[in-house]
Amino acid sequence: MKAFTYLTPGSAEEAVGLLGQHGPQAQVIAGGQSLLLAMKTRTARPSALVSLAGVDDLAGVRLAASGELVVGATTTYAALSRAPLTGWHTEIAAVAGNLADRPVRTMGTIGGALCDAGPRYDMLTLVTGTGARLEVLGPSGVRTLSPGEFFAPGGGTTLAADEILAAIRFPAADAFTRVVFAKFRQRTFDAALASVLCAARPGNGGVQITVGAVRPVPVVATAADPEAVAAEVLDAAGGPPLVQYQRELVRTLTAQTLSTVNGS
Amino acid sequence: MTQTPHRPAEHTTRPRGRLVGQSVPRKEDLALLTGTARFIDDIKLPGMVYAKILRSEVAHARIRSVEVAAARKMPGVLDVLCGADLVGKVKPWGDMMQDLLVGDHTPFAVDKVLYEGQELAAVAAQTKYQALDALEAIELDLEELPAYVDPEEAIKPDAALIQEGITYEFGDGNIFDRYKLRVGDIEAAEAEAAAVVRQRFSTNRQAGAALDPHGCVASFDSFTRELTVYSSTQSIYMVRDVLADVLQIPRNKVRVIVPEVGAGFGSKAQIFPYEVIASIFSMRLGRPVHLVLGRKEIFQSGTARNSQIRYAELMCDRDGHITGYRDYTVHNCGAMSVWGNQVLHIGTNVGMLPYAIPNIRVDGNIVHTNTAPGGALRGFGIPQFIWVKEQLVDMAAAELGLDPLEMRARNVIRPESFPFRTPMGQVIDSTTVYDCLHKSAAAIGWTETKANPVPYEGLGLAVSMKYTSCRHPSFDTDLSAVRLRLETDGTVTIYSSDVTHGQAHATMLAQIVADGLGVGFEKITLARPDSVTSPFGLGTYASRGAAVLGTACRLATERLREKVLAIAAHVLEANADDLDIGDDRVFVKGLPDSGLYLEILASLAAYRTHQLPPGFEPTMEAIATYDTPTEREGPDGTGNLSVTYSAAAHAARVRVDPGTGLIRVVDYAMAHDTGVVINPLVVEGQHQGGFLMGLGMVLGEDYVYDDEGHLTNASFKDYLAPTSTDVPELTKIYELPAPSLTIPGGQKGAGESGTGPVPAAVGNAVFDATGVRFTSLPITPQQMLLALREKDRRGLATFRYPDDMPGFTGPREPQDWPEPLLPDDMGFDWDNFEDEL
Ligand SMILES: Cc1cc2nc3c(=O)[nH]c(=O)nc-3n(C[C@H](O)[C@H](O)[C@H](O)COP(=O)(O)OP(=O)(O)OC[C@H]3O[C@@H](n4cnc5c(N)ncnc54)[C@H](O)[C@@H]3O)c2cc1C
Repeated sequence: MKAFTYLTPGSAEEAVGLLGQHGPQAQVIAGGQSLLLAMKTRTARPSALVSLAGVDDLAGVRLAASGELVVGATTTYAALSRAPLTGWHTEIAAVAGNLADRPVRTMGTIGGALCDAGPRYDMLTLVTGTGARLEVLGPSGVRTLSPGEFFAPGGGTTLAADEILAAIRFPAADAFTRVVFAKFRQRTFDAALASVLCAARPGNGGVQITVGAVRPVPVVATAADPEAVAAEVLDAAGGPPLVQYQRELVRTLTAQTLSTVNGS
Repeated sequence: MTQTPHRPAEHTTRPRGRLVGQSVPRKEDLALLTGTARFIDDIKLPGMVYAKILRSEVAHARIRSVEVAAARKMPGVLDVLCGADLVGKVKPWGDMMQDLLVGDHTPFAVDKVLYEGQELAAVAAQTKYQALDALEAIELDLEELPAYVDPEEAIKPDAALIQEGITYEFGDGNIFDRYKLRVGDIEAAEAEAAAVVRQRFSTNRQAGAALDPHGCVASFDSFTRELTVYSSTQSIYMVRDVLADVLQIPRNKVRVIVPEVGAGFGSKAQIFPYEVIASIFSMRLGRPVHLVLGRKEIFQSGTARNSQIRYAELMCDRDGHITGYRDYTVHNCGAMSVWGNQVLHIGTNVGMLPYAIPNIRVDGNIVHTNTAPGGALRGFGIPQFIWVKEQLVDMAAAELGLDPLEMRARNVIRPESFPFRTPMGQVIDSTTVYDCLHKSAAAIGWTETKANPVPYEGLGLAVSMKYTSCRHPSFDTDLSAVRLRLETDGTVTIYSSDVTHGQAHATMLAQIVADGLGVGFEKITLARPDSVTSPFGLGTYASRGAAVLGTACRLATERLREKVLAIAAHVLEANADDLDIGDDRVFVKGLPDSGLYLEILASLAAYRTHQLPPGFEPTMEAIATYDTPTEREGPDGTGNLSVTYSAAAHAARVRVDPGTGLIRVVDYAMAHDTGVVINPLVVEGQHQGGFLMGLGMVLGEDYVYDDEGHLTNASFKDYLAPTSTDVPELTKIYELPAPSLTIPGGQKGAGESGTGPVPAAVGNAVFDATGVRFTSLPITPQQMLLALREKDRRGLATFRYPDDMPGFTGPREPQDWPEPLLPDDMGFDWDNFEDEL
């Protein structure tokens, strides 16, 4: 670890201001679960850390008048997993409660995962597959991005150095009749080697399948059966053993999630 | 005071053990569970400074220059060292353990980098962060060379030399040592065999992964010229003697002390460069120097299990009796290795058990590659060899149409009388391995499940024996020592240099002393190993604690007891034979409610010496050293290297998910014959931990190198060690008593027997579940699933991974196997060595 200045703003606007003031060497810290690991090995070397821990209005879960579920960026997995949600929103809590280990869930935040944008993280697949909107706060105010705009195509995010993610707006509880997420990891506490989300729209809206963890950012499939989804996301055949394996996993997980979605 | 000869077991007339044999709660746990135990990183000495090591980021390179001038000028920097600074000033090491003519280990790489993570330079500074900053200011000019990751590439005749400038007595090129084993007549066995199964097997590199990091604090006193080293090590005298030799200072001027050691598993059973570097800094600065490694450094430059490739053949008669074993082994020790060659010798010798195979031929090449140093790790070569041999047994059983349980039952040692000497030379002084085999098989429902198989579920068996301590081929010693002192308040202090680091020595030794001396368990304390106060002993490794150290403790207890009784007899004007000890006092037999308290007797010896028997030497100390009655390895590789052997028969039930390849061990049974168990709670813990390490070896752990020799998974995030959720309920752990006849108290080693059979038992179960025979380790979900798909695609009933995969480049069939690469001039004719000697 390198020496750094630790800053504790009381509001989101102040946080943005501090980021601007300290320049691109300043970095936001939320739960620190990714960032501290990178700092320990000196792969991340921020000169200043802007902590969001004291910014109360960035944490918490509420329903907007529109029915959208607004999750503050610094809401921890632990809090999210215990939130009293209804309809397909319960799947958000279920995903938050079934990743990493207890200490990481206690400290780690949904915003931290999305801004860190680890390709194998579950929240990327969840926001992409449900078409959530991401509220970003910068010096000139709030802009709301789709996942496709928030994540850079080659991995990472499009956030500017003086912007923070403020909240995630998930579609209303009646936007989907059912959402099912499934993933595979070798050990319980590992990040996913492949993940699939199936979201069923009401009426004849159909089922949308999203595949995560196998590309730099999650891919929304146009195909509808497991074989074709796997081929669309990872080519039909060939590739190194890991890719061959992920293709099999995508098939298995797609079949599994589809049958759960259709089965009820 | 050394006690070598075989001692009969009937030396005591008192009823055996009140505490020995009981699950006494561990004395160690209070400090561990309340967070008050002090590990190496907790040591803080006045004036202490911090050192950090610059390690190579490339695996193989010629060093053009290491420029440290800028680092010296960095804030807080006190001293900087690199390889060139120490040439001719410190002595290389590693010769004694490896039986080499010269040492091949130095504190820093000098001319050449041999593996990623090797030490290049080091900085001592006021703070850790200043030391790390200064490392970044060191400029390196390295000429990168192609790296050898695959040992079979490294031994090709045209391969470039990794270790240059060292002439090996038995080696040649990147082969630095050779191993030969000859028993009976293997050609005749092959000619007469009803079945011969042949397969190439390979194994993985596994980390010790002790959670407490490797590290030390060195403190040199400029006035007394004494160097004190606190080190997280398994052996204080191994560190002291080698360190003093490396620094060329007297051994009584080096003091090695251990803090709490949070496990080692073999990975801390040697000296490391950081101990030398911290000592040199401290001697130059006259200040204590803290040098504790990070996890990445430990992965890269600690020691890892040696991997092996074995071209193996097993011969059987029509009834399934094993008549011969032959293999050619390529044994990968990494770029350098203090213990690596011994792993092949001992692991192969003892790994032949629990079978008494009459005809054996093994040729091994012990090889350097540009990878992390190989070393001791729980099982010491036995898990690798059992992985091979126990899968061959299943393959032979299939060929002969025999049930794998029945095949093993016909082969495990079950002599009419003990001790029994095998053709390999091992003296088996007791075993219930036959019963263990049946016990474990029954516990997972072997017969019922075989009759009604479940798709994608399978059962597997494996048996092994683990040595209890060992006379190493390179080391003609196998001793431990205990000194006891009855203090003047009736408490007892135990001094031993064998470091307890999970084995509960404080508890186990106190149980022995309490029983022998009649002292309350709570009054007995184990002093911390310290080379200034502890008697000389080899250390804690090789499952030697209970049997070897325990025997030394038992002997010392008897000696102290004689002294106590002699004083009491004098004071009471009684005959010592009429006295007994218990409840902290000496009493006349039959009158346990009266008597003289031990504290009174001990104070007489200290403060009232006129009341002692005439001529009595006034000391209440007793010391005993126990060296095992073991043999040296013979020139043909045979011999009884171990004082006794612990059998393990394991049975696994696995379930494979055909959609993801995930393998779960859903049920597991272990039956052992650990002899007289001093503390069942401790031994059960050892078996559970042993199993867990075997599970990691078979289902996930490995050092994953890229072609340039970069270790790509050097963190606990990427290194797939099992976690709690991967472990099945381990309730089926059985001890089937078979007390050692050689060890006076009947104990055997417990620390490693739980590991040996695990990879093979799981491998056999995976084959039973899927028809896929894994010949390489570890078995990952990815490999499992791709193998299943390829097997289905080709419509095969059975399949080998990786041998039958399209991309496999190694030799697939025995006719393609390499000939053992052997020189013509090994000094003498190995096949007719008897004539020649
Ligand atoms: C052992 C372990 C296991 C894990 N397993 C899983 C798993 O199974 N599935 C999974 O999905 N994830 C897993 N993770 C990753 C985990 O989800 C993330 O580490 C965590 O959510 C990051 O959140 P944080 O609040 O700790 O972020 P921090 O570490 O504080 O920050 C991460 C990055 O995001 C930036 N950042 C944080 N918040 C904001 C914000 N509001 N605006 C702008 N930038 C911001 C920081 O500057 C930093 O660059 C695991 C992590 C660990 C350590």
